[in-house]
Amino acid sequence: METEPEPRANGTPPGGGPADTETGLAVRGLVRRYARDVTVGPISFTVAEGEFFSLLGPSGCGKTTTLRCIAGFEPVDEGIIELAGRRIEKVPPHKREIGLVFQTPMLFPHLTVSDNVAFGLSVHGVPRREAARRAAVMLALVGLSELGQRRPDQLSGGQQQRAALARSLVLEPPLLLLDEPFSSLDLKLRVQMREELRKLQRRLQKTTIFVTHDQTEALALSHRIAVLSGGRIEQIGTPREIYEQPASRFVADFIGNANLLEAEVLGWRDGIADITTESGLRLQACAAAAPTARRVTALVRPELVRIGNAAASVANTFTAEVTEVVYLGDEAQYRLRLGVRAELLLVRKLTGGSDTLAHASVVNVGIDPGDVVILSR
Amino acid sequence: MLLAFLGIPLGNIGVLSFFTSSSARLWSPVLTTANYREIADAYFLDLIGRTLTIGALATVICAALGYPLAYYLARCSRAALAVALFLLIMPLMVSAVVEAFGWIAILGREGILNTALASLGVPFRIDVLYSQWAVLVALVQLLLPVMTLPLMSAIEDIPVRLEEVAWNLGASPLIVFRRILLPLSLPGLVSGGLLCFTVAISVVVTPALLGGRLGRMLGNEIYDQALSAYDWPFASSLAMVLVLIVFAAIAVIVGTSRRRQSRRGRA
Ligand SMILES: Nc1ncnc2c1ncn2[C@@H]1O[C@H](COP(=O)(O)OP(=O)(O)OP(=O)(O)O)[C@@H](O)[C@H]1O
Ligand SMILES: [Mg+2]
Repeated sequence: METEPEPRANGTPPGGGPADTETGLAVRGLVRRYARDVTVGPISFTVAEGEFFSLLGPSGCGKTTTLRCIAGFEPVDEGIIELAGRRIEKVPPHKREIGLVFQTPMLFPHLTVSDNVAFGLSVHGVPRREAARRAAVMLALVGLSELGQRRPDQLSGGQQQRAALARSLVLEPPLLLLDEPFSSLDLKLRVQMREELRKLQRRLQKTTIFVTHDQTEALALSHRIAVLSGGRIEQIGTPREIYEQPASRFVADFIGNANLLEAEVLGWRDGIADITTESGLRLQACAAAAPTARRVTALVRPELVRIGNAAASVANTFTAEVTEVVYLGDEAQYRLRLGVRAELLLVRKLTGGSDTLAHASVVNVGIDPGDVVILSR
Repeated sequence: MLLAFLGIPLGNIGVLSFFTSSSARLWSPVLTTANYREIADAYFLDLIGRTLTIGALATVICAALGYPLAYYLARCSRAALAVALFLLIMPLMVSAVVEAFGWIAILGREGILNTALASLGVPFRIDVLYSQWAVLVALVQLLLPVMTLPLMSAIEDIPVRLEEVAWNLGASPLIVFRRILLPLSLPGLVSGGLLCFTVAISVVVTPALLGGRLGRMLGNEIYDQALSAYDWPFASSLAMVLVLIVFAAIAVIVGTSRRRQSRRGRA
């Protein structure tokens, strides 16, 4: 297992953990029916005060729908939404005081950037000068202090999205909803914005639901992540739990690279399960309890597969042939063939100059039983 | 090209309006300002005033009715749009004469409206036919599509998300309309309003058939002066007044909306 310190700088969720719903958000049994066959939900989760919570899932899984229900733009067909202990699913959107930032900035084109940010304040009856002052403070916070007098179309995409964020934050909403706020930006800018959002979050401790289909964003920013698929939640957990102990085959496959081996359980004793894969590998896998099903899926992360000397000391060892080499700059991906039919994906960080494996070379491969996760199908 | 088509007849009328009327030859080329002095008379000033009032009222009512309609059309589904557009545009294909007779049947003393009121036991009758009110009603019906269509296309260009953002920031639907929808659809309102007003102050058929003496408008007077009294120079001077009013309206409205926009741009 990797022992380097966790890259996340956000630690455990504040505010007393996921069960605390007095101050945070609780969604219970939320269902939105678009048509007879298009249904999102039922979805249930809670977000603690100050927590950064991500909804992660493939396109069309219901992330936007969930956010729009919370913001009040979609009617809730079933279920309850509670914010700070108050039912809100019947409250009209302009009285919910929930900040929402869309995928595209959606600045008001007829107002200056500064007036955009001040819009919500002035709607709430804050006097003009005071609103302008607070808008300026917020613009400075997102690094746009020089640009307040410009029109929105005179800003770059990243600047516009920051202005949109400032426009929501200036109202100090108890809950901030971000619907893929960076997905319209190019990769470099996205990474930069992600870092800025993380700094901002650490400073403001804002309760946030962040929607994304980019797992790196979710892993890097979140206290907890809910993985959605087909309108339902597959798993809720910390980034570490989601990655290391995925609850289902879908989650394992969706987050990161995965070797997913269909297998049959032969036996279980003292925390070790004996399994054989359909492709003919015999494996020992750590399992706290005996697997309930005979037919399971075994997950092995490609970066945990050991080779060379490191392979010798573990319980599962094989010899393998390198059938494909993909060079990715900072790392290399290899496809290995074990025996006749079995295939494994292997990922290695490239640290030195000459440590890529040659195509068609034969290597020793080892899999630690602790690195095998057994998933029910 | 367009200028020629517009300019030549207009110049012609302009020149004609300074000629002297002559019963024998329609006009004689003797320059005079008598025609214009004649307009500065209580009767004609009253006529112009009424024409402008009816035109302005029709425009304002069309805007008030047109906004919700245009909003619905801009935001509804494709299928609903096809039906609604057909219903909206169909009256434009029917002659104003036919429509006017329709209104006579509805608004007349023994018309559909009063018959219905009577059968409901309402003790009074609505007696608006042959007055400016009948003209106003018919004009609103006639001009509603003229106002709605430019408004609709202006609203279509405003993303729904933009309204949602404002809503999300705490603006009630009414404030969303006033602070987002209205300013952003102003070009549509300006062009719709100008078209509406221009057509409304120059109609002939509608006031002739529905207006009676009370609802007489500038267009009727021009028509009568030209084709009944055969006083072409005087008819021309009245027409010139109408044209000048239209130009003035365009100048004022376009001027102010431009100024608003550039002020925003600078602010
Ligand atoms: N207005 C709508 N009418 C009908 N169906 C809808 C509507 N909006 C969304 N859907 C359907 O609901 C499902 C969930 O959509 P949603 O937009 O919530 O997905 P998403 O997770 O946000 O996807 P993406 O990552 O592509 O934004 C999809 O199957 C979609 O087709
Ligand atoms: Mg979405």
